Amino acid sequence: MLTKTFKRGIHPLHGMHEGKGPTRDLETREYVSDTVVISMAMNIGAPAKPCVKKGDHVDVGQVIGEAQGFMSVPVHASVSGEVVTVDQIPSLGAGNVQAVTIKNDFADSWVELHPLGSVEQVDPKAVIPAIQAAGITGMGGASFPTHVKLTFKQGATCDTIVVNGAECETHLTADYRLMLEHSTRIVDGLRAVMRALDVKTGIIGIEDNKPEAIEAMRKAAQGRDGVSVQPLKTKYPQGGEKQLIEAITGRQVPSGGLPIDAHVVVLNVGTCAAIADAVIDGKPLINRICTVTGCVRKPSNLLLRIGTITEDIIGECDGYSETPGKVVFGGMMTGICIPNDQMPIMKSTNGIVVLNEKQARSKDESPCIHCGRCVAACPIGLNPYQIKVAADKSDFAAAQKLHVMDCILCGSCAYECPSRRWLTPSFKYCKDHITAEAKAKAAAAAAKGGANK
Amino acid sequence: MSLRISTAPHMHNPLTTQRLMQYVFIALLPTAAWGVYAFGFSALLVLCVSMASAVCAEFLWQKIAKQPVRVGDFSALVTGLILGLNLPATAPWWMVIIGAFFAVIIVKQLFGGLGDNFLNPALAARAVLLASWPVHMTASACVNPTFFQAGVDAVSTATPLGAPANYTLMQLFLGQAPGAIGEVSKAAILIGLLFLLVTKVISWRIPVLMTASVFCCTMLIGGATPEAALAAVLSGGVLFGAVFMATDYVTSPITPWGQVIYAIGIGLIITLIRQFGSYPEGVTYGILLMNIATPLIDRIPRKIYGVKKEAKKA
Amino acid sequence: MSEKKSVGTVFFNGIIPENPTFRLVLGTCPTLAVTTSALNGLGMGAAATFVLVCSNIAISLLRKFIPDQVRIPAFIVVICTFVTMVQLLMKAFLPSLDEALGIFIPLIVVNCIILARAEAFASKNGPVLSAFDGLGMGCGFTLALTLMGSIRELIGNGSVFGFNLLGGSYEPMLLIVLASGGFLTFGLLMGLVNLIVKKFESKHADKEGQAA
Repeated sequence: MLTKTFKRGIHPLHGMHEGKGPTRDLETREYVSDTVVISMAMNIGAPAKPCVKKGDHVDVGQVIGEAQGFMSVPVHASVSGEVVTVDQIPSLGAGNVQAVTIKNDFADSWVELHPLGSVEQVDPKAVIPAIQAAGITGMGGASFPTHVKLTFKQGATCDTIVVNGAECETHLTADYRLMLEHSTRIVDGLRAVMRALDVKTGIIGIEDNKPEAIEAMRKAAQGRDGVSVQPLKTKYPQGGEKQLIEAITGRQVPSGGLPIDAHVVVLNVGTCAAIADAVIDGKPLINRICTVTGCVRKPSNLLLRIGTITEDIIGECDGYSETPGKVVFGGMMTGICIPNDQMPIMKSTNGIVVLNEKQARSKDESPCIHCGRCVAACPIGLNPYQIKVAADKSDFAAAQKLHVMDCILCGSCAYECPSRRWLTPSFKYCKDHITAEAKAKAAAAAAKGGANK
Repeated sequence: MSLRISTAPHMHNPLTTQRLMQYVFIALLPTAAWGVYAFGFSALLVLCVSMASAVCAEFLWQKIAKQPVRVGDFSALVTGLILGLNLPATAPWWMVIIGAFFAVIIVKQLFGGLGDNFLNPALAARAVLLASWPVHMTASACVNPTFFQAGVDAVSTATPLGAPANYTLMQLFLGQAPGAIGEVSKAAILIGLLFLLVTKVISWRIPVLMTASVFCCTMLIGGATPEAALAAVLSGGVLFGAVFMATDYVTSPITPWGQVIYAIGIGLIITLIRQFGSYPEGVTYGILLMNIATPLIDRIPRKIYGVKKEAKKA
Repeated sequence: MSEKKSVGTVFFNGIIPENPTFRLVLGTCPTLAVTTSALNGLGMGAAATFVLVCSNIAISLLRKFIPDQVRIPAFIVVICTFVTMVQLLMKAFLPSLDEALGIFIPLIVVNCIILARAEAFASKNGPVLSAFDGLGMGCGFTLALTLMGSIRELIGNGSVFGFNLLGGSYEPMLLIVLASGGFLTFGLLMGLVNLIVKKFESKHADKEGQAA
């Protein structure tokens, strides 16, 4: 099998099936909980505004949060039933967000749907508005509103759609199961986008540790003009947008730019399937596949309604097998820790990994011995150890000169570091600080400009 | 329920600094064992004194400077062992102690401790001892003279570099020629190299390119026959330096191309010193000089994803 | 320079707080080269002190007459005169020391300390203060050189001022009397002096803080 890949990178849990062993061969099963808590801030950009109130009855697919502007998508009820509260919950970042709690009546009554018809007949102009109306955001973890990704700035051109089936994160098998169980859906979603953007080439990239998925997707793509499957080397972060583009097209996204600057759009396989649902059936995004693994008694791949609470999900997996130390939304390399198990899953939650006390213990930093493992790992080609020196001194200008803004926070350097140095957290801190500073500067300049008028 | 919170990544490669140092220590053992076998009890004494004083020096310094004591990371032990292997078996005990204290306190700790020294501590200490007590450092009388095929001659010869023709390539390779404790047996050193490569502690670049560079430079600059060039590689501390000292993480370049420049540079300097210098051996200074150049080499810009070659600002 | 300076502070300033060798790092060339023995260090220091005091007085007296544009050549001419005097005196009365110090005696002319004090102090202050500044700086320089010379002689030769202190069985550490040993000793001593001064200053600051 001819595989493609990018430069450098790492092999976490190599020889242990990247930690995917326990859930790899488990068929997805649906689980619907009693109550769901649906956050209004599930996309990058402005959060949605709740448009239901306590006591309202809602149907599945009913809009409960209205999009606020172009960089925002609506939020839909994922179960039918009664709105219990419209309240604040802690967000995964900083501060609180609004959320709607719905008590499930298990009637599963849907709102009226407006399908656009089959992919061959659909009106290209109607696809992108349908994607926004369905509330679709990137399902791979970044939660970028998909319709924004598909709307180009003036003059930009796209010649290839890349579908990300790499699933390079350890432990997760959600995308893998999706590719096996819903391969036609993924291809349909991809074709809908290709039709909407008038793009002739669609390439699905899959790591070679998933030969069954490659086989299934190849079968689904057969006879579909322009759609092909590209096997990729199993290496982290193969599923990083920039790495995927480098591997598949040989192009590089310019520093500070977006994939479209390399004439490529990258969509996750989950996103593609959601697009197919939205276009063909008119269904909004109300559920997703999520891998639950780690220290749970019964690791599973679950089809979950958006807003299902972690505690209920763990219960469905027969509970914790050990005292949990950390619960991570996403994979071990880039996932986000949740503060308690009352947190609901979101549109981008592709997995829940439970770590025991020992795995969760944080390690002390010891001095850098310049072994160069971070440099050999960095898929971007940065010198992480040098950036870390600048970051420790809060010397943001120096960090910026060392291209910290090109860091994709994949965690490869921190994974490899034998001195357990907090490389990635430092770089995140640097990036956040520099972005905030630039924003403040822009705001100040705008205020000044306004005053001058 | 209390859950821990931290930023990603949530797992690490199990390889730690301590483990790396342990691997290096293990890789040095065959060489040390051969040295003790060849030179007898006095070699064992030199190695033990060297390791003990290096660890003591590190412990005392960290206590006095009120730093967290990191003796457990094995780095001082490795420094001590490498220093010991760099000394002749006849080295007096006080010289070994001075060398170990110099290596750990002046070369390593005064510059900021592990990771911040710009010279290889053991090598710098060796250079200091060589300049201070040249007689003790170059005399390498065989404690076990019957062992060496060359017999009585070997006792008075400083290193085979003076008269390489006295020894066959095989004798040089197996370690049947006099020298410092650790540098005699190339076979034992190669076992160590193999271990370091298999455990991925070091990459092949520095050791292989450095020996290749010595070989080529000896032929090109010295006009030697391939056989004589091979003898040059097998004599003195070239292999020991290439495997255990030039590869020191802290003082060697990080980037692959940097390592190439560094390794070739060391080979060139060694050959220049051997051919034109007043010292018979140039490994110590070759490596130390390139150690000094390492921060500069590490500044060579690398290609960064998506960044076009920075245009010169006109 | 408005505050009134006392002769005492000007003198002591040169010994520790602004020790030319360890604190200002001036005149490192003779410092490294001649301190292979305590006697050489002392001799070099004494010669430099003599020149420093004399040139400081002379330049201070002439400071109103020297035009600003040509002050450096003028300073050097003054310094040269005294250096020549020292050299001739040394050749006449201390020929062995003269031989040991060699080129470094004439090189006192370009010693940074002397030119620096002429420029920074003597050309702005009266002759009495300048004399004491020169004396203080000279003593600081002499002390530093003698200290370095003693240490290097002791380690590198087993003796101080030629008296064997460590016994016949001591094997001298040759490196210390070589050039690299000079750098090594210089660096370590400089670090030590800075450490002591820092400790002293922080203690002083604590006391002042408490008093306030």
